[in-house]
Amino acid sequence: MQRRTFLTGAFVGTAALALGVNLYPNKVEAPAEDLYSRLLFSVLVPVFLDGMLPEVAKPREIVINRTLDAISEAIKVLPSEQQQELAELLGQLESRLGLLLLSGSVTPLIMRQPQQLISMLESWRFHYLQLLQTAYLGLRELVMASYYACPEHWGGIGYAKPSFLLK
Amino acid sequence: MSISDPIENGLKGGWLHIDASTLQVSRHFEADVVIVGTGAGGGVAADILTQAGLKVIMIEAGALKSSKDFDMEERTAYPNLYQQAASMKTADKGISIFQGRTVGGATTINWTTSIRTPEPTLDFWAKEKSVVGLDTQSLAPWFDTMEQQLNISTWLYEPNRNNGALLEGCNKLGWQSTVIKRNVKGCWNTGYCGMGCPVNAKQSMLVTTIPSALDAGAQLISRAKVMQIEHSEGKVTGLKAQVVNTNFEPRGTTLTFSAKHYILSAGAIHTPALLMRSNTPDPFELLGRTFLHPSLLSGGIYDEQIKGHSGAPQSIYSDEFVWRDGASGDLGYKLEVAPVHPVLVASKTLGYGQSHAELMKNFNRMQVVIALIRDGFNEQCPGGQVRLTDSGFALDYPLTDGFWQGAKRAFLSMAELQFAAGAKQVRPMTEGLPQLNSWAEAKAEIETADLGLLRTVVASAHVMGGCPMGEDRLISMVNSEGSSHYLENLSVMDGSVFPTSLGANPQLSIYALVARNASLLAQRLKPVVG
Ligand SMILES: Cc1cc2nc3c(=O)[nH]c(=O)nc-3n(C[C@H](O)[C@H](O)[C@H](O)COP(=O)(O)OP(=O)(O)OC[C@H]3O[C@@H](n4cnc5c(N)ncnc54)[C@H](O)[C@@H]3O)c2cc1C
Repeated sequence: MQRRTFLTGAFVGTAALALGVNLYPNKVEAPAEDLYSRLLFSVLVPVFLDGMLPEVAKPREIVINRTLDAISEAIKVLPSEQQQELAELLGQLESRLGLLLLSGSVTPLIMRQPQQLISMLESWRFHYLQLLQTAYLGLRELVMASYYACPEHWGGIGYAKPSFLLK
Repeated sequence: MSISDPIENGLKGGWLHIDASTLQVSRHFEADVVIVGTGAGGGVAADILTQAGLKVIMIEAGALKSSKDFDMEERTAYPNLYQQAASMKTADKGISIFQGRTVGGATTINWTTSIRTPEPTLDFWAKEKSVVGLDTQSLAPWFDTMEQQLNISTWLYEPNRNNGALLEGCNKLGWQSTVIKRNVKGCWNTGYCGMGCPVNAKQSMLVTTIPSALDAGAQLISRAKVMQIEHSEGKVTGLKAQVVNTNFEPRGTTLTFSAKHYILSAGAIHTPALLMRSNTPDPFELLGRTFLHPSLLSGGIYDEQIKGHSGAPQSIYSDEFVWRDGASGDLGYKLEVAPVHPVLVASKTLGYGQSHAELMKNFNRMQVVIALIRDGFNEQCPGGQVRLTDSGFALDYPLTDGFWQGAKRAFLSMAELQFAAGAKQVRPMTEGLPQLNSWAEAKAEIETADLGLLRTVVASAHVMGGCPMGEDRLISMVNSEGSSHYLENLSVMDGSVFPTSLGANPQLSIYALVARNASLLAQRLKPVVG
């Protein structure tokens, strides 16, 4: 049976064919423990959560790290198919060719300015290709869900769970 | 404050429960009746058949949790209690689907709205779907019974502001509205039903029918996922289940079951997927046609505090638009509200960065209306299709032009309602619209909005269909009593038997229908064992 995966879109497939390369590594490791994916999210998280992160360096770092931990946790509880899809996307963003195809530039994401990252996310968000919109939505949902899952982050929105059951 | 925990007490009292994740070796089990799934359908069936004197085993893929595990946090509830940690989606990622995976199924995490099957739906099934014996009158005693058993009654408290705004909007516009009946007893009105009731007030299957069945001698096997129905010569001969670990991954240990009768109550999607995976007869390829009440969301920002996370999640609905053009006419939609908790809202809204942060900073002033589209009644919204994949299943649910037209009407109604109720801004959850500051502006913008797959947020907590009932084999898999047309000792008792969606929240329809069908089955089976 044909693999139904995150990036089996005509766009990436055709481009890869034209370039004579295989875009898909045979085995993609789940990204949960992957240092690179943590690094990747560490540049995306401040863009996604701009406006919710503290301005001061130290507290900001704490919140970003907490969110990165929560992202790792969230990935672990996703069903394996979704972990695989995510691993593929992150793998693409890591590889120069994948990055070029997905974002029109080979500059690693960790070396891009926030404005450039915003441009990339905006182009995915409104792209006519569903797979790029899906990339945007998948990353967005993961980051938002992970950040707002942490009780430490509820202060900024005035939410607290009832205390009647707290020991 | 200590809360009495019926699960803890029952286990101490000697309930027959096996957490299969602890089993090291394969085992075989036998009973009169084996039930797959313990949600709205499985719970009711287990209780009735056990009380009738039959030896019943319930098999549940999810874990047995109790009020002490319900910590009112989404980060705990979603992975522990929801299918796919609440991240389930249709294959094209166009619709987010919420479904339960725990003892009690979705009833453990649902929002307690209890509505009888609408008459136009029953009429449609009788006329178009060859369903017999299910009309308002014949079902009334079953509704009465279940309403009594599950303490279903009109919510007499003032609605929270989230629901209050829905009521106010309806009143201002002269639209129909109804105070919702809820299945609660001693409810603390805190608003965390979706994460499991921490005080056991919600009369879900977890604290009602399942304890009742276990008290009467039924057996529960949790964290065991049925993978195969074995059958030959028109009969089911056994079931095979995989033991799963605490992360719900298969552990390699296999459990086998044999019984006189088998009941599938794994819910819409999983019941048909199981039948498909087991190659059971389906000559007219009917299995897996799934309905979702695909739902649109509209956020309103008010000057006042709404605190949509606090208080009964749903207590008012409006049926102004559900049946406006008749059952098979243009798509109708039911208006309700959704509880506003951080993960749910942050992930089902739009954008990121400053604009999203601003929305979230208005969290307590946000009111969320949802429009549930009544799917399955015509080709405008024919529903989806479950298909098997290497590792499980996928659901293809094409969103048609007819659906998007219905969605546009729904966004218009929701914005009109929210402005009428005093919203200062309205944000229909679809990309590309500016912030809307008045009804006039909203009307103009929404009418020309470009709604579409992935641009528009679509979600569902109402999964139905996939194994339709009826008497005509060309359009149904089980008869109107839930018995398989093809396998003589197999019944289906869950939301998968609905031949269309309902146009109303499903739990009470499942309770009543299953109460009827399980009682009929008990009469049929009793002499055999008695
Ligand atoms: C968040 C949320 C809110 C809701 N709010 C409302 C509401 O307010 N009012 C209302 O009427 N409805 C509501 N619903 C819907 C309602 O709860 C469901 O329609 C109803 O519970 C469906 O019953 P069921 O028996 O068909 O399946 P479920 O309740 O889904 O139960 C099926 C069970 O079978 C188990 N299972 C599946 N496959 C297997 C297998 N292979 N082996 C073993 N076990 C298996 C599952 O883990 C699950 O526990 C809500 C649902 C959700 C998710």
